[in-house]
Amino acid sequence: MPRVRRAPLRTPSPERQESEERMNPILRGLRQIDGRALLALAIPLLAGSAACGGTRMPPKELNDARDEVLQARESASRLDPTDVHEADLALLNAERAWERDRDSPSTIDLALVAQRKAQIAEAEAQSAQALNRAAVAKQQTQALAASQLARVQGQLGQTERQLDQTQEQVQLQRARLLDMETKLKDARATIAKIATVRDDERGMVITLQGELLFKTGQWDLKAAAMAKLDQIAEALKGDEQPIDVIGYTDNVGTRSNNLDLSMKRAGSVRDYLVAKGIPQDLVRAEGRGPDNTIADNGSVEGRASNRRVELVVEPKK
Amino acid sequence: MLACGGSLPPPNNEWASAQTDVGRAQAGGAPTVPAAKLHLQLAEEDLATSKQLFDRDNRRAATLTALARTEAQLALSLAKETNAQSEASAAEDTLARATGK
Repeated sequence: MPRVRRAPLRTPSPERQESEERMNPILRGLRQIDGRALLALAIPLLAGSAACGGTRMPPKELNDARDEVLQARESASRLDPTDVHEADLALLNAERAWERDRDSPSTIDLALVAQRKAQIAEAEAQSAQALNRAAVAKQQTQALAASQLARVQGQLGQTERQLDQTQEQVQLQRARLLDMETKLKDARATIAKIATVRDDERGMVITLQGELLFKTGQWDLKAAAMAKLDQIAEALKGDEQPIDVIGYTDNVGTRSNNLDLSMKRAGSVRDYLVAKGIPQDLVRAEGRGPDNTIADNGSVEGRASNRRVELVVEPKK
Repeated sequence: MLACGGSLPPPNNEWASAQTDVGRAQAGGAPTVPAAKLHLQLAEEDLATSKQLFDRDNRRAATLTALARTEAQLALSLAKETNAQSEASAAEDTLARATGK
């Protein structure tokens, strides 16, 4: 079976030419002569050479193998020395085969083996270099990711700390609110024992009957009224909630007198609450006279109900 | 009459090893890499030719078997090189994206 000649993966080097001349002195001489004269001389000379079997040119595959292995040796610092050594040994085998039997196709086989060994050395070196590049790039990518992760974790930690602080503040606020609600509830319960308490759109409304607080037509507080107002002031103190003190009368007498009396009565209650510790800027007094009745002025009981003072405790804003 | 190379036995063990190397090259991705595929095909051809020469020209069978083995090893090396180059390119692309370059 004819041997398929395969082109080498790399071009022949100047060393190959030197190698050829060393192997074939006739060829060295022939280079000095021009073309046609060369042809005239070459044919009988080469025929004679072939007959002797001593100066025959080596096959192209062997020359290519010499080139390849020489290049591998020159690149020894890059290549695996074991691979280079294998190529060297393979070339030696091919040279010996060539010396032993120059007509044998096995020589070409062995020359090709040497070529392939040199090419394997180069391919393996390229692989190793590429894998190293890959490893370096992956390491740098991982380092970058770790750095980014550390930064994000740092930010996350900071955010968590801020969240903890916020939650702590929320807890404190809740506790404060709960405390206020409890106090308000307690205050309401206390006040409900001594006065009427209801809620409307204005807030908590504490209603005190006029007869309990004042003598008829008067606006000085009775002693018993002061006792009740003491309890109310104590319950409301510290809440920081605005209080409107509103005085009302029945419809007996002139409107002008009733407005004046209701204003004075509201003022007396306001002054007493302030004296008992409610901040002055939180308490306002107002007289509405016979307006905003809560009962029918046509009966004794109705008029008694209308004569009253209301303390409107507004919700805290 | 002795057959050419008749003093040598047929290279049965070496042939089996070469066949194993061909299998490794196939498994290593040589059929998908053009340069590697060429050498893999040469290996398979050489193995087939070598087998035909058993007990007819054992010396030639031995050198062809050695060549087949080396062709298969080169096919595997070339496939590995291509894969390694792809891996390096991919890793460098990933790094470039990560650094925003």
